[in-house]
Amino acid sequence: MKTKTFLGFVAPSVLTMVALIAVPLAGVAWLAVHGSYVQTELVEVTTEVPTFGGQTSVRTRTVPQPVLDENGEPITVSEYVGLDEMRAAVDVDGLQSAFARDRSDRTALAATSSLYDDVTNLDFWGALEFTLLYTFGTTPFVLGIGFFLALGVNRVTERIRSTLVFATLLPMIITPVVAALSLYWLFIDDAIISSLLQSLGFAPFHFLGSEWTIRSIILFFGVWSATPFAFILLYAGLQTVPQETLEAARVDGASRWQSVRAVTIPHLAPLFAVIALIHLMDAYRVFEPIYVFGSRVFASSLQYLVFFVLAFQDNVHRAAAYAILTIIGVILLLAPVVWSTWRHQGGSNR
Amino acid sequence: MRHPMLVGPTLALMAGLGAAGPVAAACDIDARGEVNIVSNFFPVLELIDQKMEECETAELTIENKLTTDHRAETDRAFEASTSPYDAAAVANSSVTMLQAKGQLRPLNDLVDKYRDEYEIEDSMLIRFGDEVMAVAFMANAQHLFYRQDIFDELGLEVPQTFDDVLAAAEAIDEADIVEYPFGAAYKSGWELGNDFVNLFLAAGGELFDPATGEATFDSPAGIRALELMKELTAHMSPNALGIDFGGVRQQMQQGQIAMAFLWGDQAASMDKPEESTVVDKVAFAPAPSLEPGGPVATTFWWDGYVIPKNADGDADTTFRVIMAALSPETVEENNDATLWLRTNYTAGRYSQAIIDSVNAGAPPYPMEPQADLAHGALGDNIGDFLAGKESAEQSLADAARAYRQAATDAGYLK
Repeated sequence: MKTKTFLGFVAPSVLTMVALIAVPLAGVAWLAVHGSYVQTELVEVTTEVPTFGGQTSVRTRTVPQPVLDENGEPITVSEYVGLDEMRAAVDVDGLQSAFARDRSDRTALAATSSLYDDVTNLDFWGALEFTLLYTFGTTPFVLGIGFFLALGVNRVTERIRSTLVFATLLPMIITPVVAALSLYWLFIDDAIISSLLQSLGFAPFHFLGSEWTIRSIILFFGVWSATPFAFILLYAGLQTVPQETLEAARVDGASRWQSVRAVTIPHLAPLFAVIALIHLMDAYRVFEPIYVFGSRVFASSLQYLVFFVLAFQDNVHRAAAYAILTIIGVILLLAPVVWSTWRHQGGSNR
Repeated sequence: MRHPMLVGPTLALMAGLGAAGPVAAACDIDARGEVNIVSNFFPVLELIDQKMEECETAELTIENKLTTDHRAETDRAFEASTSPYDAAAVANSSVTMLQAKGQLRPLNDLVDKYRDEYEIEDSMLIRFGDEVMAVAFMANAQHLFYRQDIFDELGLEVPQTFDDVLAAAEAIDEADIVEYPFGAAYKSGWELGNDFVNLFLAAGGELFDPATGEATFDSPAGIRALELMKELTAHMSPNALGIDFGGVRQQMQQGQIAMAFLWGDQAASMDKPEESTVVDKVAFAPAPSLEPGGPVATTFWWDGYVIPKNADGDADTTFRVIMAALSPETVEENNDATLWLRTNYTAGRYSQAIIDSVNAGAPPYPMEPQADLAHGALGDNIGDFLAGKESAEQSLADAARAYRQAATDAGYLK
């Protein structure tokens, strides 16, 4: 179509995207390269605090107090700090000291393991470790289980199919916070699942007791809540598989599984790529299970770091730095998939 | 023709709506506009919320938002050019950073104006220097809750030091009466930091150097506090790093633990038959100390209200609504709800332990903004030691680094 018509159609969504995506992104990037604080000076202040029954406790301490300008308003300093904030977020100092530690007296394996421990001990890298573990750990299961569910539901009789589809979609519909809370309450001391497992004869199960248990539960949660998405897309895709090719394969003597492998999966390959892409993006931003389970010690995530710094340290700039690093991470993660999809598309169009 | 079945319910609905209409009698504030308040979420605040709603009239709307995420909301609101909230409920720790950023409106003029009308007592005022920054209404502290029946059965004495607590825990472990002898809120984050600060201050530690603001909690007192926490976790649920105060309270109420370290204002809930299975079995004692005769390992907290400088509502009306809810009548009618700061409050069984703790030397929670950052840094990092991932020194060093970064970003350190 003519360029003008094309632009006319595309303009509204492009403008909306610019307003709702590009502008806030630019804002976050701006925050990440600036620093601000209220100028304070150390002043001796006497605080009087009531205890009870009319008594008070008086203490004189030296505390930071805001410096006031001519109008009696506190002075806020806002300055450009370049990459300092990002460097602090990535903890370059921590990395340097981790690498600088003398490990010459250990075997290569022990030294690498010790270095790995030191690096993941740093906030950002520990969060990155689990985020990547979660992202790559859930994706294969999401794709695999989603595909088998789709195949299964596709073969079921028409009558109960829609109910089955609805039931399979439920985990995706539930708000992640609610789902995580429900899971937490299922596993906490004396909860349903813990008691059930104990009555069946298993040793008492403490999901926060060790790294493996809490990470497994969070990964389980991730697979459980993301599989419906893969399921519904693959189920729709299964409807487009050419029936003649399938029948031809059957006539040639292929078993069910062989025809799935030879016809269905190649046909759905681009769909798998799209689902993987979207799930990778989603999983990289995992937050709810980390926050609800309080698993910070064993499993942290980049999004949780953003939240923690914002909520408890009130540090918008550090949070913005973490956010920008998360975005960079997602771009790096998706680049190979996007590239291969692009080439695949470009190749088939030529 | 009206369906006969609908008439009854409709009338009832109309009567209900009529009854729920504005009841201004108790409050009598003749002002127009809107008052929006944000606060934490626990029973006493719900009670005060109800009292504030009594002030609602056709011209004055009062909206109180109760949420456990109030701190994040308060911080953001007070920093904006106009705050959506006209007042916020705060405690010792949340007020210091707000005050250090100069965001709070001094209340001296309002206090003087309404002192007689609302019988404002001096003991309710929180002063920074000459300025009244907050009006407090309740005091709180964490102390020991224990099952009197179990202690009687095993012939145990009320623990006075943490060594006593550990000894009692061993005895209870052997007797195998409850699942875990001890429970405390060790959830990674604020709760964990809170437990550390309690023990650390009683061990004689200073969170930071007042002159320079540098962290001083990576010290022998800090190591001591951490090691005691580790010993205590041996007698707690292995899920301790994920359980918060609500969870520990439930553990106590459901009879899963024999001793707990909980907030004083949770004492009354132990005897609520609709929640608790251990009604009349729980007794309260002041917090234990580290040394016999030494300071008790707990800090003293107050809860109160502040008004920001950037509120768009009328500070006068807001103040009146708050003081009307915190009247002597509220205290009289709900004496046992908490430890009220008014002089007409009479201490009862549930608050005696708080009073005893304070008399035994519990300091108020440090009211410096750096303390808040130190608390956060500690809560985030000492979990690694308790989970057995690294040494005590390493986790304190990590916390000190995190504190340093946070304090530098906030402008308290250069």
